[in-house]
Amino acid sequence: MSLDTDESSSTPNLFAPRYKRVFTGRNGLAVSIVSSVALIGVLVALFFWAPGSATVRYYYFNGHYMWQSFVGHPKTGLLSVGKGFLTNIWMCLLCEVLILILGLGVAWIRVSRSPLLAPFRVLATAYTDVFRGVPLLLVVFLVGFGLPALGLGVLSSQSPDVYGCVALTITYVAYVAEVFRAGIYSVPNGQILAARSLGLTHGTIMRRVTLPQAVRTVIPPLLNDFISLQKDTALVSVLGAIEAVRAAQIYESTVFNGSGLVVASLLFLAITIPLTRFTDRLLDQDRRRRLASLS
Amino acid sequence: MRTFRLVLATLMGATSLVAISLTSSIAASASSATALATCKTTINNQEFTKGKLTVGTDNPVYTPWFVNNKPSNGKGFESALTYAIAGELGVSKSNVVWVYEPFDNSYTPGPKKFDFDINEISYTAQRAEAVTFSESYYDVTQSIVALKGSVVAKEHTPAELKTYLYGDQIGTTGLAYIYDHIHPTQQTRVYSTLDEAVLALQTKQINAIVVDTPDGQYMATSEVENAKKQADGVQVGQFPSTGEHYGLLFTKGNPLVGCVNVAISALRANGTLAALTAKWLDIYTSVPVIKP
Amino acid sequence: MSDVVLQLDQVVKRFGDNEVLSGVSLTLHRHEVVCLIGASGSGKSTLLRCANLLESIDAGTITLFGQSLNDERIDPDLVRRHIGMVFQSFNLFPHLSVLENILLGPVRALKRDREEVHAEALALLERIGLRERADDFPDRLSGGQQQRVAIVRSLAMRPALLLLDEVTSALDPTLVGEVLDLLRDLAANGTTMLIATHEMNFARDVARQVAYLDRGVLVEQGTPEEIFTRPRHESTRTFLERVR
Repeated sequence: MSLDTDESSSTPNLFAPRYKRVFTGRNGLAVSIVSSVALIGVLVALFFWAPGSATVRYYYFNGHYMWQSFVGHPKTGLLSVGKGFLTNIWMCLLCEVLILILGLGVAWIRVSRSPLLAPFRVLATAYTDVFRGVPLLLVVFLVGFGLPALGLGVLSSQSPDVYGCVALTITYVAYVAEVFRAGIYSVPNGQILAARSLGLTHGTIMRRVTLPQAVRTVIPPLLNDFISLQKDTALVSVLGAIEAVRAAQIYESTVFNGSGLVVASLLFLAITIPLTRFTDRLLDQDRRRRLASLS
Repeated sequence: MRTFRLVLATLMGATSLVAISLTSSIAASASSATALATCKTTINNQEFTKGKLTVGTDNPVYTPWFVNNKPSNGKGFESALTYAIAGELGVSKSNVVWVYEPFDNSYTPGPKKFDFDINEISYTAQRAEAVTFSESYYDVTQSIVALKGSVVAKEHTPAELKTYLYGDQIGTTGLAYIYDHIHPTQQTRVYSTLDEAVLALQTKQINAIVVDTPDGQYMATSEVENAKKQADGVQVGQFPSTGEHYGLLFTKGNPLVGCVNVAISALRANGTLAALTAKWLDIYTSVPVIKP
Repeated sequence: MSDVVLQLDQVVKRFGDNEVLSGVSLTLHRHEVVCLIGASGSGKSTLLRCANLLESIDAGTITLFGQSLNDERIDPDLVRRHIGMVFQSFNLFPHLSVLENILLGPVRALKRDREEVHAEALALLERIGLRERADDFPDRLSGGQQQRVAIVRSLAMRPALLLLDEVTSALDPTLVGEVLDLLRDLAANGTTMLIATHEMNFARDVARQVAYLDRGVLVEQGTPEEIFTRPRHESTRTFLERVR
């Protein structure tokens, strides 16, 4: 087949077909307005005119019950979902600190090449394999009921919050270690070569060259894990502790209204949505910087 | 002649009175019998699945209510009662179908996928707003279960009871009893299932569980175990009755409850209910009563 | 004290089944500039990396200041403090400022006083006309500027010799000149250098010796004049013809 350019005399058709033209150009704004109104309209219709709608709104979106569940009702002993949520918050903050420190430690061990650390490397690999495979709920059970069963003195007489934190930490460290490891590997090899050419020791290179860059790179996935952790704190309820979700469930089983559950959800969203938006912004910034440096 | 007519009138009056009272009492038992007979036909239109009696219960279920976690074997108080009710309504054993319904879900509002649920569900006014209950088939009290030789077993004055750490299943009347009558100073641990509360008791994370007396009896003698698999629980005592009773649970407004109530009344009248209670639930009467 | 800074004797390097260096021998004297020329994949980069122990060798010896580097008591980190290396892709540390890039080696590896090194670093930057960019981050600098900073970063360690691996190959043609000028400057000042390059004119100007590599074999070595005008080997001739 020849490589000559097209010598034909007739002009090719450059017009888009009519049905596509409806959605582009000057019609664009109109189309987006119609599309938004239609979608919102359908959702509103479903919410208000579905057959079970009144029941759902009474049962789950009832203002009076939402408020009562939030503040609790000391006289009847009804617990406050708001207070329960404080448990979720402090657990999340405390565990996150532990997770970051230990996660970095495990990642460090896994990327090391010193013969002295060989057995630890094997252990670390086995550990991350196991705890990324076992569902968090199972770990919570095993830790929360298993440790007390062993009768090991101090280890066995902690409150469920502590066991919950231990279970969360053990599981999340396995994931976070892998995130850090990926970050460490993402530092371009050329920089490691340059650093070694300066005669810097392995430890110094890790501390001054690799980790500062690796950590910056993995902040978005770490933020995702943090948001996930905030939600997983609810699992401590299976050990009997009263946090927001459990408080809402107790409220529901006492007054027969599920609005407390909606309150608990809103409390979680109040924390996770700002974090999600922030993470998205960071990702965008990072993306722009990387694409700029390539062009 | 006048005397004769007087005597005859009295005789006739007396006879008719006797006849009326006789027929009315016959009619009474006949009316309950008729009611039952009517029920045998009307229930066909009220059943969840026509021709079958669909009964809901939890999984697992325990002695003395069921045996070996098999509701269909007719053993255990609630299993036997269900088949007795079915018998009264003319439903054969093979037409009784069991379905799974977790305890927490049973009393929430909304249509149910069974005719009735039998699972030691206590009547409360609040639950009755969401579902319909049959009349009582068992009057129940709450009791405390703790580990053998634990301090709870020995010291349980009302003041001492307040100091212990309790654990219980969410949504149960046992938990409500702790909140309403015991008022402990330490926050009660609330678990999703009773099994977890038992586990917590065994591992000494909690001091005591409050649970229906028959359940408590079984729990103390068979479920709570130490490391050597020996029974380690003790039913410390039962609390005074609060008027709590069990009822069968129906979807709100389900007309079938009418006939089921008729069946229960029949079983009460002919002594079957008392016999079943004696056979399966006799032990609890010997549990000492303590004050909350 | 001997005049020989670096000596490679029959160095062999394999990557798996592939023999990348086949018995290369080379001597680098003090104040000497030796240029390595050859096609891509001829082994120039590998040779340089073996010289500063970034790669291990499979046979032969490398000697620095008369000390064999094959000895297993040798600490490679210490060795590399005496040998500077500059790369084709600059490899400046993006999270550090220009000044911090230069300070890192002397302060952390040589444990020198930070104030002292600070002053020296500024002086070096002054010398290449980038003093006012000291606090900028590498991404604000042009390619030529970054490479010159990279060279200065190596110089701050006061190495015995510099290895330069095609340091202008990744640069925009307009920026190549400023880097080559710096290298000419260094050569004039007596810096010992082993330079792998494609810039033939530069090599001709600056090198005392030019060595031509073809697929891992050091085919020919001589003065620039000998190599460029009177190449003895067929492959040398072919290569020079193609790059003309």
